[in-house]
Amino acid sequence: MGRAQIGEFEELVLLTVGVLYDDAYAVAIAAELEKQSGRSVAVSAVHKSLYRLEEKGMLDSRLGDPESKRGGKRKRLFNITPYGKKALDESIDLRAKLRGQIPDLAFQFNS
Amino acid sequence: MKRPQGIPRLPYAFFKFYCKQSRFEEMHGDLEEYFYERVERLGMVKARWLYLRDVLRCCQPYAWKTPHIYKNSNTMMFKNYFKTASRSALRNPLSTFINIFGLSIAIGVCVMTYSFMNQSLNTDKFHENKDKVFLTTIFADRDGKTAQYGVTPVPLAEHLKEDFANIEKVCRIHDQNAVIRLNDQVFYEDVRLVDGEFLEMFTFPLKWGNKKSLYDPNSIILSEEISNKFFNTENPIGKEVLVIFKSGEKKYFEIAGVAERFPNEAEIEFDFLVNYSNIEVAEVNYNPADWAKFLDATLIQLNDPSTIANVSAGMKKYLQLQNEVNKDWAIQDFEFISIDELYLRSSNMEQSISYDDRRPGRVTLPFIAAFMLILACLNYVNMAINSIAKRLKEIGVRKVMGADKRKVMVQFLAENVFVTAFAMLVGLFLGFTIFMPWFEGISGEQYGIQLSDQLFYLFLLGLLILTGIASGIYPAFYISRFEAVKIFKGKITLGRKGWLTKTFLGFQLILACMTITAAVVFVQNTNFQMNRSWGYNQNHVMYIHTPSKEMYDKMKAEMERSPYLENISGSADHIGRKSSHSVAETLDRKYEVNELKVEPTYFKTMGVEMASGRVWSEEVKSANREVVVNQTFVKQLELAEPLGFEIKISDKDYTIVGIINDLHNQPFGTEIEPMVFSQVNDGDQEFLTANITSGYDFKAYDEMESTWDELYPEIPLVGGLQANIWDGYFRLIGNFARFNKAVASIAVALALLGLYGLMTLNISGRIKELSIRKTLGANMLHISKIMSTQYMVLTIISICIGAPMGYFFTKFQLDLVFAYPLPMGAFRLIIPIIILIAALTSVIITQIIRVGKFNPVKGLRSE
Repeated sequence: MGRAQIGEFEELVLLTVGVLYDDAYAVAIAAELEKQSGRSVAVSAVHKSLYRLEEKGMLDSRLGDPESKRGGKRKRLFNITPYGKKALDESIDLRAKLRGQIPDLAFQFNS
Repeated sequence: MKRPQGIPRLPYAFFKFYCKQSRFEEMHGDLEEYFYERVERLGMVKARWLYLRDVLRCCQPYAWKTPHIYKNSNTMMFKNYFKTASRSALRNPLSTFINIFGLSIAIGVCVMTYSFMNQSLNTDKFHENKDKVFLTTIFADRDGKTAQYGVTPVPLAEHLKEDFANIEKVCRIHDQNAVIRLNDQVFYEDVRLVDGEFLEMFTFPLKWGNKKSLYDPNSIILSEEISNKFFNTENPIGKEVLVIFKSGEKKYFEIAGVAERFPNEAEIEFDFLVNYSNIEVAEVNYNPADWAKFLDATLIQLNDPSTIANVSAGMKKYLQLQNEVNKDWAIQDFEFISIDELYLRSSNMEQSISYDDRRPGRVTLPFIAAFMLILACLNYVNMAINSIAKRLKEIGVRKVMGADKRKVMVQFLAENVFVTAFAMLVGLFLGFTIFMPWFEGISGEQYGIQLSDQLFYLFLLGLLILTGIASGIYPAFYISRFEAVKIFKGKITLGRKGWLTKTFLGFQLILACMTITAAVVFVQNTNFQMNRSWGYNQNHVMYIHTPSKEMYDKMKAEMERSPYLENISGSADHIGRKSSHSVAETLDRKYEVNELKVEPTYFKTMGVEMASGRVWSEEVKSANREVVVNQTFVKQLELAEPLGFEIKISDKDYTIVGIINDLHNQPFGTEIEPMVFSQVNDGDQEFLTANITSGYDFKAYDEMESTWDELYPEIPLVGGLQANIWDGYFRLIGNFARFNKAVASIAVALALLGLYGLMTLNISGRIKELSIRKTLGANMLHISKIMSTQYMVLTIISICIGAPMGYFFTKFQLDLVFAYPLPMGAFRLIIPIIILIAALTSVIITQIIRVGKFNPVKGLRSE
């Protein structure tokens, strides 16, 4: 299998799923992302990424218990699979590696 | 699932509509969670709006229900077929191109044929009263042959109206070519004199004006084409038109109506319509009670079309009235033909207001379309069978996975329909953008297909299924036969028994041979006809038409003054332009002959050659009893001693004093008729002919034209150079040749494509063998021999069959259209065969060169 490809937003969602361990469902993820990044996040975008990541095998899911605040409906809870972790690590490693290779000179901004 | 409290109804229903069952609970749970939280924070109204926004945002593919068809295993299967078909098509771009190109050309031709046939068969069928309106036709005997004519005796219309209660309307039609003066421009135009009922019988809606105005003798109604010609798109109602009738009378008319553009299907049309009562002005000595004279058409309309039998039965009494006064043209019977049937029957009728010249097209075009389709299908079959080798493994796998013979067949047929559908799109495009405009250019008529024409879609569907199945059934059957085990063991040997593919290719080559023969012969025939002797000297001769005596005298004086003109001669008739039918009577028989009344100098001016005898003397001005006839006359009347023979022409006695060589009074499509030249009475001359000094042809004529324009600004000059009188005819036969050339090009192109494709596949199948031969030192000569022998043999056999067929096919076609066709002989086949062999050889040679350049190492390494 080739390298796991994930997009920027997908990566954020994947990370947030990890952060919210055991209570990672769409609304919570959207709220967490909004809180952490400060930008507004549509729940549909989160849905889309979640289902895609699940399709790719990076997330696993199960149904939770019905809750009254959701009109008695169950929520889908996600958690990261080992493959998801690998993809995440690879992605972050790549960034770190690239970041480390930037020569100091590139950051000397003499105006 | 009930709608929870507060959630807006419509967005909820929409969400339920699009959302997948399996994701509904969790997704809607999320939405509800937001909703309740927002109700508390922002209030009900805002929450409801935001809910709508969320529903719309969630409406994305990930949330959608899977449509039913995706769950159906059959459709899944077809989806897979579609995928494999497009993959295999892309893997063999060459054969795909050949298949689609061939099929789409054939389909383009079919589309063109459809539009032609549809229009041709529906001609004049758009009239609402087409079943109720009948044309009166007569049967009369002329020349010993009974023929049907569309003309009727002048008084018949009045009698019909009075004598039959069930006849609702009667309409007379008389056509005249008159001078029209509009906006200071003068033109010769066809004016149709009709009764006011004309516009009620026929469905010709008016763009401007009132249909009733046709009853007014001072009104004139124009067609849209004419209106646009003179007034662009302006409304011309109320403007004045001056009509100068043949009788010389002038009359002003007021434009009272303009018809809408006639449909393409209209054959009976008009340019100018005026009331029939104007015939008193238009014709000299018009007598409404003269049974001897004929009218261009008499139409009747019945309330109940089934009562036409009553009318037919009551027609007997008129026969006697007519036969008494016109013995030469005695009517034997009447027949009423409804407008619905008229067009398709008019090719068997003479002098009818409806004229059908599309009959050859209706016979040949469907054949050509079918031929093209067969050629393209054969190409497809050949390519499919030969490219099977590449797909054997796939078939094996399918069979192992449980596909039976039928499934595999269905797969290949489906693939085929898919390819055909694609070819159809290309074909429609080709048909509408190339073939139809091209055909319109050749036929000079407008063709079109209405998008609302349901029959057309049915036709396309039929064509799709027919072509898809006809081209696919054999390959599908052939492919599905293989057993999976044998395929995997490699025991299938392909291409050994190629007799079928060869037969198909041979068939294509035969067709190509036939069409190319036809094309070459027709091109040669066009040249032959153009160089054919006209029987007289048509070069450096000009003629002008002078309708009145005054014009004749003035123009004759002008012409005599011109330094470039000599041998000026006057005549009442003119070769190629005007002659009258007369009856020549010997003791025992009557013959119909062409009579031309001329001055004796006419023969010299026109360069007519005398075969024997002499021309009558110039001194005799009138009461001349001597005539000159042509050789056909002598032959048809079987005169042993023609000179001095006495004969009655139009009830006057004449003596034949001279015989001229046969000349063409009509274009070469018509056989030469017996002709009689007699002395023109002084004052009856209508034509002036003169010889022009060589090199001044146009200058001399232009001078005469400007002289005329000064003298008669109201009337356009009719005349020209004699050499140009049949330009239209030559253009027509040139179009015949062009049409055959196009058909041949397509057929040859398809055959060449077929050959090219077959050779390519054959070579790729034998690449190992050829590589080994090359490495072992076979030279090019040897390789080209083993590669081309089978095709050479095939070509020779095809030509042996195709050439004679082409010969007879072309001869048949030529004899049908031309009275004096190009003399045929086996030598006519030489050029087409050389062209065909050259084309085929060039294809074979390109392939041989390809193999010659091919590196055998690659061929041996490939697997």
